[in-house]
Amino acid sequence: MSKVIFSSWAGKVVDNRGLHPDEYASVEDLGFPLQYNGHRVRAFMSWNGLVVADDKVDTVDMAHTYLKEVQKLSCGECSVGYLGIKIMLDILARVAKGKGGDGDIELLHWLGAGIKENAKCDFCPSAVTPVLDTLNYYKEEYIKPIAGRKRRAKSTYMTRVTAPCMEACPAHQDVPGYIELIRNRRYKEALELIRKTNCLPQLTGRACVAFCEGNCTRNEIDSPLAIRALKRFAAEYGTEGSSESSLKKVRGKPKVAIIGAGPAGLAASYNLALMGYKVTIFDELSARGGMALVGIPAYRLPKDILEREVDVIRQLGVEIKLNTKLGRDITLERLFSEGFKAIFIATGAHLGREFDIENWREGYTGLIDGVKFLRDVNLGKKLEAKERVIIIGGGNVAIDCARTCLRLGFKDVTIVYRRSRVEMPGREEEVEAAEKEGVRIHFLATPVRVLTEGDKVIGAECIRMELGEADASGRRRPIPVKGSEFVLPANMIISAIGEAPDLSFFAGKPIETTEQGTIKVAPLSYQTSRLEIFSGGDCVTGPATIIEAIAAGNRAARSVDQYLTSGKIVLSEEDTKGRLTHDISLSRQRGGGVIAKSLRQSPEQLPPSDRVLSFDEVEKCLTAEAAVREAERCLRCYRVMLLAVAREG
Amino acid sequence: MSKVLPGNATGGSQRRVKLMVRLTIDNQIVDAEEGSTILDAASKIGIYIPTLCYHESLTPGGSCRLCVVEIIANGTSGLITACTCLVETGLEVRTNSERVVKSRRLAVELLLAQHPHSDRLQELTKKMGIDKPSFTLKEQECILCELCVRTCREIVGVGAINFIAQGIDRDINEPSIEVSPVKCIGCDSCAYICPTNAITVEDVGDTRILTTPDGKLEFKLKKCSTCGKYWAPEKQLDYIIKKADLASDAFDNCPNCRD
Repeated sequence: MSKVIFSSWAGKVVDNRGLHPDEYASVEDLGFPLQYNGHRVRAFMSWNGLVVADDKVDTVDMAHTYLKEVQKLSCGECSVGYLGIKIMLDILARVAKGKGGDGDIELLHWLGAGIKENAKCDFCPSAVTPVLDTLNYYKEEYIKPIAGRKRRAKSTYMTRVTAPCMEACPAHQDVPGYIELIRNRRYKEALELIRKTNCLPQLTGRACVAFCEGNCTRNEIDSPLAIRALKRFAAEYGTEGSSESSLKKVRGKPKVAIIGAGPAGLAASYNLALMGYKVTIFDELSARGGMALVGIPAYRLPKDILEREVDVIRQLGVEIKLNTKLGRDITLERLFSEGFKAIFIATGAHLGREFDIENWREGYTGLIDGVKFLRDVNLGKKLEAKERVIIIGGGNVAIDCARTCLRLGFKDVTIVYRRSRVEMPGREEEVEAAEKEGVRIHFLATPVRVLTEGDKVIGAECIRMELGEADASGRRRPIPVKGSEFVLPANMIISAIGEAPDLSFFAGKPIETTEQGTIKVAPLSYQTSRLEIFSGGDCVTGPATIIEAIAAGNRAARSVDQYLTSGKIVLSEEDTKGRLTHDISLSRQRGGGVIAKSLRQSPEQLPPSDRVLSFDEVEKCLTAEAAVREAERCLRCYRVMLLAVAREG
Repeated sequence: MSKVLPGNATGGSQRRVKLMVRLTIDNQIVDAEEGSTILDAASKIGIYIPTLCYHESLTPGGSCRLCVVEIIANGTSGLITACTCLVETGLEVRTNSERVVKSRRLAVELLLAQHPHSDRLQELTKKMGIDKPSFTLKEQECILCELCVRTCREIVGVGAINFIAQGIDRDINEPSIEVSPVKCIGCDSCAYICPTNAITVEDVGDTRILTTPDGKLEFKLKKCSTCGKYWAPEKQLDYIIKKADLASDAFDNCPNCRD
């Protein structure tokens, strides 16, 4: 939008009106699209101002249309916001029709200021900001219609609603929506709303990384909403007194095969089943849940929880065949010949990355990779506790391994990580919990050689590291310090330095893969080089998060449906909408009211000394009282965006 | 900030001492208990701040916005509701600045526009020198103050009244309250607390009729086994018997006929 005629975005006013286009003052790149879904953007109005690129746009009509969209989300929990917007709309409607009165501009100013300063949450104030901008900077547009002059031709509009939390979530869940339902004690409806974009609320309510919380507006005020805990609350309280099978069953569409019963595969199967497809999931493991099952220890996710969650999906008619491995028990070709019309591959990243130090691959007892270790424990394999264990790595797998070792009875559990605490990729709260439970973390060190005696491991020779320049990941690169070698005794060493997809089932390369050893798909549609095969989750992205896998499963299900229905995949407005807000900061609006600080409600936790005695779940569910109190902290930062567009390119 | 002081020698337990917080309201210095609100502190020194959705026995809701005040702290000022804002040391509060008066006037005029015939609202606006609202709205008795919602939850303990709010793709024309006929025990606390008579109650013969914005609900009344008077909804009495673990015949007689 280099040719911006006017902008009040974020309070920075750029006014080029009356100048020849050649004389337009330069406008910083505001991150607004010139094109949106094939349309030329003429003007943009949202919570932080007004941007005009075409001086023929009717700003009064735009303000009126914008406020109409805003009203749909105005909750009614405070009279100033709800009634104020209602009356502003009445006034704008008559002004836009040329029937306004002399006092109308004054009334609009009074209403706007009152809403901005005295509404209860963050939503209605944000809603009036751009309207006040039109009053302040396009006053003549108001006076003309009030004086009864002819109005301009109306624009074509497009709207989009988002919120900082929704935008941060890969699955774009309506977070303020379900929090509001919890606040109003409508737990069942809250759960139903969550399920629309996330079919695994029990799982994500416990083990999601919660990007939403990182982007919560309250970060700038006190502390973010406990969104993950609220989701778990809705998942637990929303099913009370109702049967989960109330979901509508539709039948009559073709057979679709899904490889992998993890989050991506489950999300795809859930959506496809709801659309009427006959879905069969094949999984090589002996239990359902994929990486969520074998990668997450029971103290974070009790095993029966996942089983119950998968049951809801099975009730939709989804069949799950376990102990069935692609490439061993089934092949892609055989699935097609058995009548499956499309296949979604979601096999995860279950292969521990090779650790390349002296003696690692020589077959000594006591060396294991982290994912395999967790898988063994989670599938119930008996493991003998040792005296001392070293875990190498700083991610969540390393932390999970360490906390699991404590619970298995290992006496001395040490994590060795080559960078410092700030660079540690593991979730901060997990790292803290591990330390509280007794895990030691050795920062700025890495093993260089496994020390052995006979066929057994007796320790690791390590070297100290220091941090150099930032590398491609943006983190400072660890550099070994010469002559700083030291020995850590150990009976077992777990390597948790990363995971990769196991694509060994792809004999003969039926579909294209990437140099990184992942499956290649078309962006947004998840379609592979073979059009009737789709893929998503960790096997496409490399090790990522549960919610990214769910988002991929959701979208891939739509792709499968589109492909099987029409033979081609159309990127909908829903897909491209995301790009609109990608570059625009959704952080706090300018000049809102004062927001009182309030204490974040935390779920009860087992005391660290009790935790290590068993695999019992560490974190409890929020109580109803705490959940409602927490939900009351939500500032409801919905952001409505209105674009005036022209059809030509 | 609260401090934890060591307990006395004999008890050994720790005692939490409420600290006092010093702030200024309308240029008067006030010492208020930590954890109390600006509204509490102002009323202690006799400063009147209008309220509508506030009730001392209920959690503040902040929905009517009438108790708006201006606060100045750390060099910035802003408006906030006195019923929800906790006192803080050094806080400067203005309950009647021009900014406050303008904002409060808007809040009350909006409510009056919603329900121009409410005695309570007329009384409030008269005090503020307002005859009639600057706007017109379709008249509606329920002004969504949520007093009934909070009373039913917090005092009665039933939670039969809930709020329906708007949201993305939620097909709701207007926000409103919803009364669950299953949960409601017909106790009439909501009608008692309602400031605008949007909820009313009437006993006709053996039936109690509760009229709410969400519709009419009927409850069978219990007959006193001695005097024969219909005196309370059976559902309410059953609720009390269950909650207080009383004998099933505890309410066979009305209060007048009990020994």
